[in-house]
Amino acid sequence: MSEMKPSDVAAAEDSSEEKDWAAAKAAFDNLKSNKPRPPKPRFAVSIAVSSRTVFNMVAERKIYEEEGVEKYVAFQVEHENEPFRPGPAFPFVKALMNVNSRLRELYPDSEELFDVILMTNNPAQVGVRLINSINHYDLTIERFCMTGGQSPIGYLEAYMTNLYLSKDSDKVTEAIEAGIAAATMFMPEKEMELSDTQLRVAFDGDAVLFSDESEIIVKKHGLDTFFEHEKRYENQPLAQGPLKCFLEALGKLQRKFYSKNERLNCPIRTFLVTARSAASSGARVLKTLRSWGLEIDEALFLAGAPKGPLLQKIRPHIFFDDQMFHIEGAKDLGTIAAHVPYGIGQKYHKGKLIEQPAKNE
Amino acid sequence: MVSTVQNTDVKQKESDHAVVVAVASRAVFEPEAQGGDNVYAEGVAFPLLQALQKVNERLLEENSAESLLFDIVLITTDSQQQQQSSHLISSTKHYGLEVSRFCFSTEEDFIESLLQNNVQLFLSTDRNEVSQTSQKGVLSALLDEYTTSCPSEQLRVLFCGDAVIRPDTNPTPASRQAAQSFSAQLGKMRQRFGMSDSPLSIVLMTSCGGRDSCGGALRTLRSLGISVDEAYCLAGSPRGPILSVLRPHFVLSDCFSGLED
Repeated sequence: MSEMKPSDVAAAEDSSEEKDWAAAKAAFDNLKSNKPRPPKPRFAVSIAVSSRTVFNMVAERKIYEEEGVEKYVAFQVEHENEPFRPGPAFPFVKALMNVNSRLRELYPDSEELFDVILMTNNPAQVGVRLINSINHYDLTIERFCMTGGQSPIGYLEAYMTNLYLSKDSDKVTEAIEAGIAAATMFMPEKEMELSDTQLRVAFDGDAVLFSDESEIIVKKHGLDTFFEHEKRYENQPLAQGPLKCFLEALGKLQRKFYSKNERLNCPIRTFLVTARSAASSGARVLKTLRSWGLEIDEALFLAGAPKGPLLQKIRPHIFFDDQMFHIEGAKDLGTIAAHVPYGIGQKYHKGKLIEQPAKNE
Repeated sequence: MVSTVQNTDVKQKESDHAVVVAVASRAVFEPEAQGGDNVYAEGVAFPLLQALQKVNERLLEENSAESLLFDIVLITTDSQQQQQSSHLISSTKHYGLEVSRFCFSTEEDFIESLLQNNVQLFLSTDRNEVSQTSQKGVLSALLDEYTTSCPSEQLRVLFCGDAVIRPDTNPTPASRQAAQSFSAQLGKMRQRFGMSDSPLSIVLMTSCGGRDSCGGALRTLRSLGISVDEAYCLAGSPRGPILSVLRPHFVLSDCFSGLED
């Protein structure tokens, strides 16, 4: 079986691990319901989602911020049997579940599936309401870490997480610094109708799939230098960015459909939505992807045009970009956007350098 | 032959209300190493003792007349350690450990000693000692080399629901009773502190079942007066990596089988 995890993680097969796994398998197989069993983490594409991305907890968050943690927990416990409304990552999670059903049909014995893990800072008492909500919507989330305030980073690493989604930009930044693909989710202003048969994921190019090396040139030396540079180095692959490995994991699952003749019916579709222009700087991007052995289904070069309207047509379940300017544009027109806090783009807003106060180390 | 010696450096706890925790001397002090001045070097259980002491300190801060405290007993479990009694006492005093008394016993009679001293939890690095003690109905937990890297500022107790039951440690009704009463005491202690900045964290982990199994365990513990701080549902994922991040001081497992029904 091919590895979904980075190749430098070589987990030795521990006999006690195998015992745990066998016991879990037995426990699920014995269940009266036909709930699908969660996959073996080592082979799965692990997606960790925070509670506030799966569910809308805006009102409760307000109580936490204004009245403190005790009142917040008391409120949650009091309303334990009321399910939350869906949050920004909810459609994404449902789409992942759909891909899993299709994969299980074609490969009933494979562990190469999406594994959705709830990764929350919430105290365990709030967990009861979260579990009730997961049950209400029948989401396939069987694994969770309710850390009661401890940092999630260690647990993300323990699960060999392929993607972490949260509303807390500090935690997301920490995850990226630890080498884990991560993004901060934003709820769009209006609702968009999304596919329930195909997972659609859109990525920005520079500083998301690729490093920010070219973006640095734009910011420091302007567009003309950027175009010249990209033309000259067309055949030199860009360095990889924080979401490259996630695209790779999606590609591996896509190929499982292709090899069963399901290319036209593939329930995963990927999009590149870049401000680059096809004529002058696009080639390098496509050649880089090719050199990595990665495919992207549709590459859309905007040559600087706003991304919002195009994303409205694409209707992705999630759109990753490193610049808040594009995130806001996407959000305004109804696209679920996720900010990747990486690279030089963080120091700028709408092309202007943000004045940062000196940080106290 | 068993002998019990009080530590005159430490205020004795009220026997009716305190939670008696006995720690094997081999876990507290390195038996072979010497810290100089005829004093033993620190063993793997040092952070654990410091954490237990921290809980007591904070309990008394909240209420100076608090009687629900940890009552720490150092116990020798073999004749060799029994011979070292004066060294053990002097080392304990040297480090200022909050040990109220010492029980000097041998392999044959240490369990008797535990029962006589109303011990509610026995901690040791020796798997056989833990197993034998469990069989006799005293709640016991194994300490290992990971215990040494646990925090000393917060006591972290892990309840393992639905752990794979080992055939040689079927929980007897007596040991299940011991587990429930210790947990209830722990739950009461936890109530003395607020949600954040607690010196005691109660952690629940379920290994095999899915979310409902963990959810059920949370509710059952709540009905027993135990408010869990952190919960981890593994649903078959490997325990090792999670435990190394969790860093519990000790794990109470196999005594809550059926907890999540």
